[in-house]
Amino acid sequence: MSESDKSQERQTLVQLRNVHLSFGANHVLKGIDLKVRKGDAVSIIGPSGSGKSTLLRCINGLLTPERGEVVVGDTPVHALKSEAERIALRKRIGFVFQQYNLFPHLTVLQNVVLAPIRILGMERASAEREARELLARVCLADKDEAYPGQLSGGQQQRVAIARALAMHPELVLFDEVTSALDPETVGEVLSVIRQLVEDGMTSLLVTHEMRFAEEVSHEVVFTEGGEIVEHGTPRDIFHAPRNPRTNAFINALRN
Amino acid sequence: MATDEALALETPRESRALPRARPTLSPIVPWAVGIALTWLALAHFHRDSVAMLWHWAPHLALGLRMNVLISVLAIGIGTVLGAVVGALELSRCRWIKAPARGYVHAFRNAPMLVLLFFTTYVFPFEIHVGSLYLPFPDWIKVTVGLALPASAYIAEVFRGALLSITSAQWEAAASLGLSRSQSLRWVILPQCFKRVLPPWMNLYAMITMSTTLASLVGVTELLESARNATNTVNRTDFTILVYLAVLTLFFLYCYPITRFTARLERKYAFH
Amino acid sequence: MPESWLPAFVVAAKSVGLNYAFLLNAFEREAWLKGVVVSVELSFLSIASSLLVGLVIATALTSERPWLARPARAFVEIIRNTPTLVQIFCAFFVLNMLVSQALGGPQNNPLTAYAWVVIVLSLHFGAYHAEALRAGIEAVPKGMRESAASLGFSRRGRLIHVELPLAFRFAWPSLINNMVDLVKATSLGSAIAVGEVTYASLMIWVNGDNVLELMIFIFLVYAALTLFVVWLGGWVEKRLRMPGYGH
Repeated sequence: MSESDKSQERQTLVQLRNVHLSFGANHVLKGIDLKVRKGDAVSIIGPSGSGKSTLLRCINGLLTPERGEVVVGDTPVHALKSEAERIALRKRIGFVFQQYNLFPHLTVLQNVVLAPIRILGMERASAEREARELLARVCLADKDEAYPGQLSGGQQQRVAIARALAMHPELVLFDEVTSALDPETVGEVLSVIRQLVEDGMTSLLVTHEMRFAEEVSHEVVFTEGGEIVEHGTPRDIFHAPRNPRTNAFINALRN
Repeated sequence: MATDEALALETPRESRALPRARPTLSPIVPWAVGIALTWLALAHFHRDSVAMLWHWAPHLALGLRMNVLISVLAIGIGTVLGAVVGALELSRCRWIKAPARGYVHAFRNAPMLVLLFFTTYVFPFEIHVGSLYLPFPDWIKVTVGLALPASAYIAEVFRGALLSITSAQWEAAASLGLSRSQSLRWVILPQCFKRVLPPWMNLYAMITMSTTLASLVGVTELLESARNATNTVNRTDFTILVYLAVLTLFFLYCYPITRFTARLERKYAFH
Repeated sequence: MPESWLPAFVVAAKSVGLNYAFLLNAFEREAWLKGVVVSVELSFLSIASSLLVGLVIATALTSERPWLARPARAFVEIIRNTPTLVQIFCAFFVLNMLVSQALGGPQNNPLTAYAWVVIVLSLHFGAYHAEALRAGIEAVPKGMRESAASLGFSRRGRLIHVELPLAFRFAWPSLINNMVDLVKATSLGSAIAVGEVTYASLMIWVNGDNVLELMIFIFLVYAALTLFVVWLGGWVEKRLRMPGYGH
């Protein structure tokens, strides 16, 4: 198993230990342990309501766990107190949302350059040059002057990916990025993500696209009821699950 | 649906992590201004100023009575007139509809003060009915001057309410076997009422506040009484006290109305 | 020159029973036209400053710091539930008096009746603008706030670059309504002898029997002003439009 040996050597970028979070009486995360190594793509699958998106929001500090540790690189996210510390963290982490959340009052290009100029302090000219390169990478070079509302869901989601990449993140979190899309535009978004993973971008994906998860991930995590039921290689999870709950979920999807 | 994300729920933790933006205004400014003004005001007070306010209270109360009287009459006339104009606005006949629309536009876009000048200076001071000479006092002219814009606003409210009730409601009522008048009474008007009541109450508060304009055409209402009192006594502390009293009285009269309206709006929003 | 067609207009008006003779009196004509100019000036000065005030109060209203949000809320409620004219009187007959006394006499007081009208109208309509903007800020989808935060924006950055630009667009129709009301409210300046068009007309009709004639002119002035504000509002709205965004 030289493949897994090699990945053991690689540096851990994200580490969650015993993370708990509840919203009122609703206990959403019940002791999550998770590790993402640099350069890996990890997919989180599981039924709706199992706290997958909440988990992602704990990693970039949009939510703070009640108990447990979240560490990104050297940063203890759970212990961040000030807004400045959270901002420093979020600059390093890209986040792509299910609903794209592009800014509707700005053009595609303005959406992509807003944060690099305002947050990273880049020159407008170089920010725009880089943004155009990114837009070309997601095959939207000709849409720079369009407004988000004029684009299809798949196009908006690709802009959202370009916007996240413009910050040069060490890690990108994908929160069910194809769930709101028309079936015919899902493919174009997935191929952009696939390319990113192949280029070595560390990625954590919450997804319902099982075929895609199996194909691109280095590791797959199955969650249910706020707990991690099982994790392993895509092959193990999809073809030889050890836990009966995983098995039931996978089988239900198959049929 | 994949909205497992409990984020849709209310959570104190989350609101701490992602609150709405904080303002940049220095906190000291509003407080400093407030404290300076209060100090300035208090520095002028004599011990008997409250007693003097008490002495003038009947005069002020008489003034306030005029505000209430004018506002109630104006909203009454305005409602009747507005209902008629609103119905005319929905007429299919162009010769009825166009003047009704013109009426609404004219009276909504004219400043109320100018309308009051119009009714007080252009209308005669008495009306001849046959051999009878009916006096036409200024306060009634003011009432008419406020009723005209009120009717224009009400016409808009009525029109909106009637239009908002779809033909499906009429059809549904008819299919239940209700006659046209029964449908109107049991289905359409109750829905209209809910839509009309909140803006109608807001309008009443607005008309009440506008009654102070009567002081500018020589009608003795609260603000004019206050001017009389402060000019007669001519003392700084008393002037402050009287104007504070006027502000407070209007606030106590209008604030409950607007609060109640806001509650109604929220309640009806779900029905 | 107006002199060439003015007499013809006055004669024509006379034939339908309207007395516009004051237009032939250079002094009265100039005074009235100056009133129009003052009305226009007063309107646009107050509109601009009321928008600024509205922005500040809206920011305070939506603040999570209670010592800022609560006074702002109280201010808005007091403004909205007391008559504008009473506010103008309170400013001019009370605050102005206090300022004069604090500065050692009216001769040292730089604030004129005109200034007080601008101040009161700015605060009054600022409060109304603030309510509209607050509703706009609260209508900003949560996802926008989240995505701005994820990009590393601070609270202030989110407010400036995302929440306010969107809130402004959501609130714009209400803001235009408020501005139209503001234009109409400038007529209240006449109550404390600010020489805008209503006051200028008053000064003319006390000398002559031409109330109705001047009234028609005043209505036309306000109609033109409000139409202009509405037109300008529509023009801005077109500029601010977010293509494809459903609103």
